[in-house]
Amino acid sequence: MQMHPEQITRALINEAFHSRRLVVGLFVALNAVTLVSGLQWPKVYTASTTILVDDRNIVQPLMSGAAVPTEVTDRSRNAREVIYGRKIMDQILENGGWLTSRSTPEEQERIIENVKKRTTIATVGRNIIRIEYRDDDPERAFRVTERFAELFIQESIAAKAAESGAAFEFIEKQTQEYHDKLARTEKEMKELRSSSLEARSGSDVELNTRLSALYLRIDTASQELREAEIKGVALEKQLSGEVEVIATATREGQYRTRIGELQSRLDTLRLSYHDAHPDIAQVKQQIRDLTDGIAAERERREQMKRDGRSEGDQSAMNNPIYQQLRRELSQNQLTIEGLKERISDAQQRLQQELGQGRLLHGVAERLAEATRDYEVNRDIYQDLLRRRENARVSMHLDRDKQGFTLKIQEPVTMPQSPSGPRFWHFVGGGILLGILVPMGLLFARLNFDPRIRVGSTISTRHKVLVAVVVPHLWSPKELKSLRWEFLLLTLAVGATVVTSVALSVLRIAKVL
Amino acid sequence: MSKIEKALNKARGEHRALPVAMQGAGESDIRVPGTAVVADRVGHAISVGSIGRMDASESRLLSAGDLSERGIIHPERLEDPVVQAFRELRTRIVQQSRGQNGVILVCGVREGSGSSFVAQNLAAAFAFDAGKTALVIDCNLKNPSVHRLIEDASSQGLTDYLENPELDIAEIIRPVGIARYRAIAAGGRCELPAEHFTSQKMRRLIDSVRLRYGERFIILDGPPMSDIADIRTLTELCDYVIVVARYGLATNTQIENCLSAIDDKKLLGIVFNDEPRIPRVPRKKHSWRSGGERDYRGPGD
Repeated sequence: MQMHPEQITRALINEAFHSRRLVVGLFVALNAVTLVSGLQWPKVYTASTTILVDDRNIVQPLMSGAAVPTEVTDRSRNAREVIYGRKIMDQILENGGWLTSRSTPEEQERIIENVKKRTTIATVGRNIIRIEYRDDDPERAFRVTERFAELFIQESIAAKAAESGAAFEFIEKQTQEYHDKLARTEKEMKELRSSSLEARSGSDVELNTRLSALYLRIDTASQELREAEIKGVALEKQLSGEVEVIATATREGQYRTRIGELQSRLDTLRLSYHDAHPDIAQVKQQIRDLTDGIAAERERREQMKRDGRSEGDQSAMNNPIYQQLRRELSQNQLTIEGLKERISDAQQRLQQELGQGRLLHGVAERLAEATRDYEVNRDIYQDLLRRRENARVSMHLDRDKQGFTLKIQEPVTMPQSPSGPRFWHFVGGGILLGILVPMGLLFARLNFDPRIRVGSTISTRHKVLVAVVVPHLWSPKELKSLRWEFLLLTLAVGATVVTSVALSVLRIAKVL
Repeated sequence: MSKIEKALNKARGEHRALPVAMQGAGESDIRVPGTAVVADRVGHAISVGSIGRMDASESRLLSAGDLSERGIIHPERLEDPVVQAFRELRTRIVQQSRGQNGVILVCGVREGSGSSFVAQNLAAAFAFDAGKTALVIDCNLKNPSVHRLIEDASSQGLTDYLENPELDIAEIIRPVGIARYRAIAAGGRCELPAEHFTSQKMRRLIDSVRLRYGERFIILDGPPMSDIADIRTLTELCDYVIVVARYGLATNTQIENCLSAIDDKKLLGIVFNDEPRIPRVPRKKHSWRSGGERDYRGPGD
């Protein structure tokens, strides 16, 4: 439904007149509600203070790099955490007079929550913290706010000092720890070194050289041994052959050789002579003599055997080759023995060296590890030493209140008048609401109720002439009751307004 | 003026002597000067005669206070916007009818639209003019209201006339205590009004009342548009239709339905009724308190 502003105004006036009782009723009711709310609305006194946080002073540039200032990223949050802490809150409870002997922990908790609700902590600019506290008692508001500021400053500075002190202590402890660790490592290294004197750098190279020399020696000796053994076998063989030849060269052998020679002479003689030939007979004699000589020789030998004597084989002793072979064999045997001795000695030494090498490796490993630990710990330790000095300076700064100061920028003043909405706000709001709400409702009805309330809309909507708009015809009785009604409604509105104004005046005069 | 008319006037003058005497000295001067004024203005022999005859039958005229009580406008309160509205409506109809009288059907968009109020007050507005008379016929048989205007509550009405062939029109046309204003009540209860309205007798009734007096405007106080059958029948009988929509009651849908049932040519327009306006405090001498002492004589007085 599209209407012109005048049409809307006209329609609103008509509608307001039509629903006059509702309008006036709403006006009175809304005013009554706001008046009651205004009367019931607690008077709230607000006390506030601002604290200047000064963390940039003359010492800082001087100590830059040496002391680490505490970073304050969100001051209001920090302040809130400090102030809302139980430590400060307990003192506030005491200071605000809330703490009685009868109050249970639950009650205290509830009071603390209420106090927190009434407290606002905010940062103004970068370095100013504003603490605001609302209370229905102006004096208590003043007291609590003042105490808040005091306790906050105290607590902050103490916390700051405690913080840097704790930091120093921590670093100090760490330094001590690393110092101990370093000492331990040093001691370990010393022990390792003394446990194995050879365990020094380069000792493994020497060991390797020695080991390879031993291996070489063993190899060479083994080779020589094999050669000597082969030579020994060959000599043995040769010697055994020589023994046979030496046996024929004995006395018996000589006899037999003579017999052989004589036999062949006999054979030759027999070819030319008869057996009776002297030459033959002589030869035969000689053979007989020789055979007897052999028998005597045998007899003699057996006799010697029985007697247990041996006078040796004079013919063998006299064999020069045999003698030489025997000499060489003996020499060879000596060589073999010597070589075996050398190999076993070398092997023993090799085992020794290997054992020592293993030992040396273990120690070197541990020593390297200990050295590494030592180096790392030493670095950390040196760093910690530097840090400890920084922490010490920071701690001294905080202790001497040089690094971070909190000053009350704007001291708390006793609130003289209550904050928040005043009574006349309620009165004005009530009157305004009393007019606007019914009008809004009527406007809504005009717009959303399908029933027609503006005659001209019919002609625009249905393209038909609205011949005439007939207002309500008031009968005398109706007019009479309307007068009474008007009178009553005016009285109601007047009484409402007068009451509101009177209450406002009384309120301003502080009667109420 | 013909001899016959003079004779008629004379006879009626004798017949009228009694009520005039009963009304007393204060009322005796109403008739003659009123007649004379009308005669000057209209200059129509038959009209003057009929108006004179009507004046003669006024038994007792209601005071402005009585009219106010009955919810009927009064010419004394010309500055009243309601009076002005009805006068404007009357003027429109007069302009539309071009000197002829007419039959006007007034019907509400729905029940409670105040169509009877509009019909009766429109008739009163016509009656303001000494040159015109008005006749209200109550066609809202289910919910009649015109009978309240008529002093003789037991008098017979429209349905009685339509059902009883022996009944004369003159017997059902009743005065209401307002000069130049007559009414026909609905009569006894009737179950099937549409059957009456379609009857020839109804048509004859309308024709006869319209033709008998040329200055008479006949206003049919119709049923609400929800009785669509009655409306259609009555629309055929009338010359103009006025649709009444009440403030804060009629919806656009109802109006649309209503308009679709009415012939555009006969539709005179919509009357937006009962708009709430803060009443103007009437001046002391014209206030309804003092107005009760004076009789309703029309603007021509």
